[in-house]
Amino acid sequence: MKKNSPSFSGRFNPNEILLSAPSIVWLILLFAIPTILIFLIAFKSADAYGNISTHWTLDNLRALANRHYPMIVWRTFWLSCLTTALCIGGGIPVAYFMARIPRKGRNLLMILIVIPFWTNFLIRIFAWKNLLHPEGMLKQVLVFLHLVAPEQPLLYNPWAVLAVLVYSYLPFAILPIYAAAEKFDFSLLEAAQDLGARYSVALRKVFLPGIRSGIWTAAAMVFIPALGSYVIPDIVGGAGSDMIGNKIAQRAFINRNLPEAAMLAGALSLTVLLPLLIYLFSQRRNKHQLLTGTPP
Amino acid sequence: MHDYLVFDHLTKRYGALKAVDDVSLSIEQGSIFSLLGPSGCGKTTLLRMIAGFEKPDSGRILLNGRDITQLPPNQRQVNTIFQNYALFPHLSVCENIAFGLKVTGHRKADIERETLRMLELVQLERHADSKVTELSGGQKQRTAIARALIKKPNILLLDEPLAALDLKLRQRMLMELDLLHDEIGITFLYVTHDQSEAMSLSDKIAVMNEGHIEQVGTPSQIYEAPCSSFVAAFIGDTNFFDGAVIEVKDSEYCTVRIGGFGDVLCYNDKKLRVGNPVHLSIRPEKFAISRNLPEQRKGRNVLSVTVDDIVYLGTHTKYWVLLNDYRVEINQQHMRYQLDQIPIKHNEQVWLYWNADDGYMLERYCEDDEEMVFQPPEEIGDNPEPTEQHNEEE
Amino acid sequence: MKRSIIPLTVTLLTLLFFYIPIILLVAQSFNASRYSGAWTGFTLEWYARLFRDRNIWMALRNSLAIGLGATTLSMVFGTTAALALDRYRSRLQRTHYILIYMPLVIPDILMGMCLLLFFVSLGMKLGLLTIFLAHVTFCISYVAMVVLARLQDFDHSLVEAARDLGATRRQAATRVLLPLLAPGILSGGLLAFTLSIDDFVISFFVAGPGATTLPIYIYSMIKHGAPPVINALSTILLFITFALIITAQMLTWKKEKTT
Repeated sequence: MKKNSPSFSGRFNPNEILLSAPSIVWLILLFAIPTILIFLIAFKSADAYGNISTHWTLDNLRALANRHYPMIVWRTFWLSCLTTALCIGGGIPVAYFMARIPRKGRNLLMILIVIPFWTNFLIRIFAWKNLLHPEGMLKQVLVFLHLVAPEQPLLYNPWAVLAVLVYSYLPFAILPIYAAAEKFDFSLLEAAQDLGARYSVALRKVFLPGIRSGIWTAAAMVFIPALGSYVIPDIVGGAGSDMIGNKIAQRAFINRNLPEAAMLAGALSLTVLLPLLIYLFSQRRNKHQLLTGTPP
Repeated sequence: MHDYLVFDHLTKRYGALKAVDDVSLSIEQGSIFSLLGPSGCGKTTLLRMIAGFEKPDSGRILLNGRDITQLPPNQRQVNTIFQNYALFPHLSVCENIAFGLKVTGHRKADIERETLRMLELVQLERHADSKVTELSGGQKQRTAIARALIKKPNILLLDEPLAALDLKLRQRMLMELDLLHDEIGITFLYVTHDQSEAMSLSDKIAVMNEGHIEQVGTPSQIYEAPCSSFVAAFIGDTNFFDGAVIEVKDSEYCTVRIGGFGDVLCYNDKKLRVGNPVHLSIRPEKFAISRNLPEQRKGRNVLSVTVDDIVYLGTHTKYWVLLNDYRVEINQQHMRYQLDQIPIKHNEQVWLYWNADDGYMLERYCEDDEEMVFQPPEEIGDNPEPTEQHNEEE
Repeated sequence: MKRSIIPLTVTLLTLLFFYIPIILLVAQSFNASRYSGAWTGFTLEWYARLFRDRNIWMALRNSLAIGLGATTLSMVFGTTAALALDRYRSRLQRTHYILIYMPLVIPDILMGMCLLLFFVSLGMKLGLLTIFLAHVTFCISYVAMVVLARLQDFDHSLVEAARDLGATRRQAATRVLLPLLAPGILSGGLLAFTLSIDDFVISFFVAGPGATTLPIYIYSMIKHGAPPVINALSTILLFITFALIITAQMLTWKKEKTT
């Protein structure tokens, strides 16, 4: 009430327009219109030279139904779900640990967790390619321990993709959960124990509900980008580990069929955007919860 | 003395809520005037309208005869001490103080001279180059005062300036404010929810409640002659009694029958007639109790009561005594060395007495206000709120 | 009170998980063996080759130019956007907020695809310009969010105090609001710069032939090039990142101590 006098009236004041115009115009031109464009071009056909023709068609929609797309959609889905589950499963104990140690240790741990996040995305993936290389060290150790047969490749399969997905997105899960855990009042756990709950029960019934918002944020922060993964399966996955992102890139750059790529991208954005838009409109504004606790 | 700052039928709405509801008020030049009320009563909104941060929906504000209602904040000869002081954290003490002159393009030499003068006034010479974040609470406040006073305002607005300080410092700063006011002599408009601050500092107080002004008066008028149950209960402790006039004695006194309590003699300043309802407020310190029957005097009421609760507070003792459904709070000052006295005990039968002149008839009464009066709990979970017992009589 | 050792264990395992690939990569960059596996001796050969590769310097130059340009523009647009979002509560701002918010949450590949189609439909030549435009688009959102978060902690009575002391709107903005907001704008800009330098997916989609940024070049090296040279490049980039993060941390710690 004191901070901002609400201006619900339909008329905008000139200062508001002046401040909003640059970003709004830019984002409408380079974000909103291109997004709509995806859904238009998805119903165009491609000509032989890789250009978009003016001809309207439903071929691309039909193309979604057949061939091996269902398999790829399924793989994208379970890989993303598993990645999310693993990241949250790992993120909660780490966040708990960080929130309970003294401040100095926290800062150090925070840096240690953030460093991989700030290193170049491609380099992180490449490091894994090195690690999982047939002649790499991990392979030699695993073979030595008789955990893996010498002829079994570690690279170029969905499990390699999963490992790198978790590696890439774990910091995205730890940070929001930690942000929530840091605000959690740990004397509540003592209160729960004082009232007769075992520690494990106190954790489950008091701590987990207490950091719920952080967990949801973490889930969104991991699941959404995982759905759109493209580089990771491209570098460490083999022919049998393609995700939707790879198909979009293949259609766009190898087959030069932009409309079909647009159809795929459109389908993916619907699965991502619709729940988000519903969420955003239902929350009205001032809740950018999905972002709170995310790295700067 | 003439009316210096005038509010003329000011109203401010936020949606359906009337934050300030048709307030008219005038403030004399050179006085310390307090707006006192609970949070949400509209006092801060009123202050912000004078400063220019809010525009009233209707009404006018006149400063020295000039209508300032529509002026932007930077063009008003009015400066504010903000609740959290709002010192600029990126500037030093000295730069904070000089800010107001710099932005209005004063000459460098003038700015320097005035800043020094202000630093001297608030005794912060040694901290001129300190960061404001390094200052103590009291020093922050003095910086804020200097920063406002350098503008030579016609009125200094103080928005709960002591709220952020601890009790001891608060008392000291209160005295400093008073001395400062004596020194510079400009009008202070002081907003607070703390009645003791308002009482000790102000020449006049306006008590606000739910957007309107309940009463305007000097501190003693407000305390001794509250016009409503809200004012009586908000400022200090009190006991409420309600009854009706059964006999008008003479031009000054009447007898009021208070159901379940007794027939008491009252000073009839409102010139009530037989049958008129009466709401009486009697402050705890106006009562006295004693073990021996006090001598009869003209205008003295004496009743036999039972002691229900005793709280020893050093300078005085609080008693709660019972008479039928009434539970009366009493403050008995310790004029004698207490350990020589035989203490009054729980459940003891004692005499309660007071002078008819010491009660005050309220013009407006609202039952909800009784809840503001502090009551110690009786046996926990025993019986309902004592205030409910009053209601049953009606 | 007994504490479970599970959190400690998971934390240590996580750190191992994070750092083993990186440490191996650094070690490999000094390994004389062309293919990973056995250690055949210390060498700086790969670094020497890296520095002889002129294409890398070109790619780096492109990345820096795009990064600096996109950062500068997005700092301005992002700050104005945050000010509007913080100050006004209108329908327009709700839409504005969604426009700012969406680029942050949609997967990179969708953003890349959108922009590719847009540029192709307009008949624009894909290249450094299109990469720059794409980067500004997502950088605005990041800057706006960082500045908005700072604004929400900002004590708005400071602006009122300035006005109260006789400052005009413009003076209050330039003398109080902006200096106090500057750290937020700068950290937003730093984030934008890092993301721009780091971005591969979006750049790859809108790059077209010939326009190469550093990540695009690294990608083509990973796909087709010699692994040891990439190791060397990665090691250098890692150390630059470490140094930057540690300096930044030192600065914030020092600041925390003084205030």
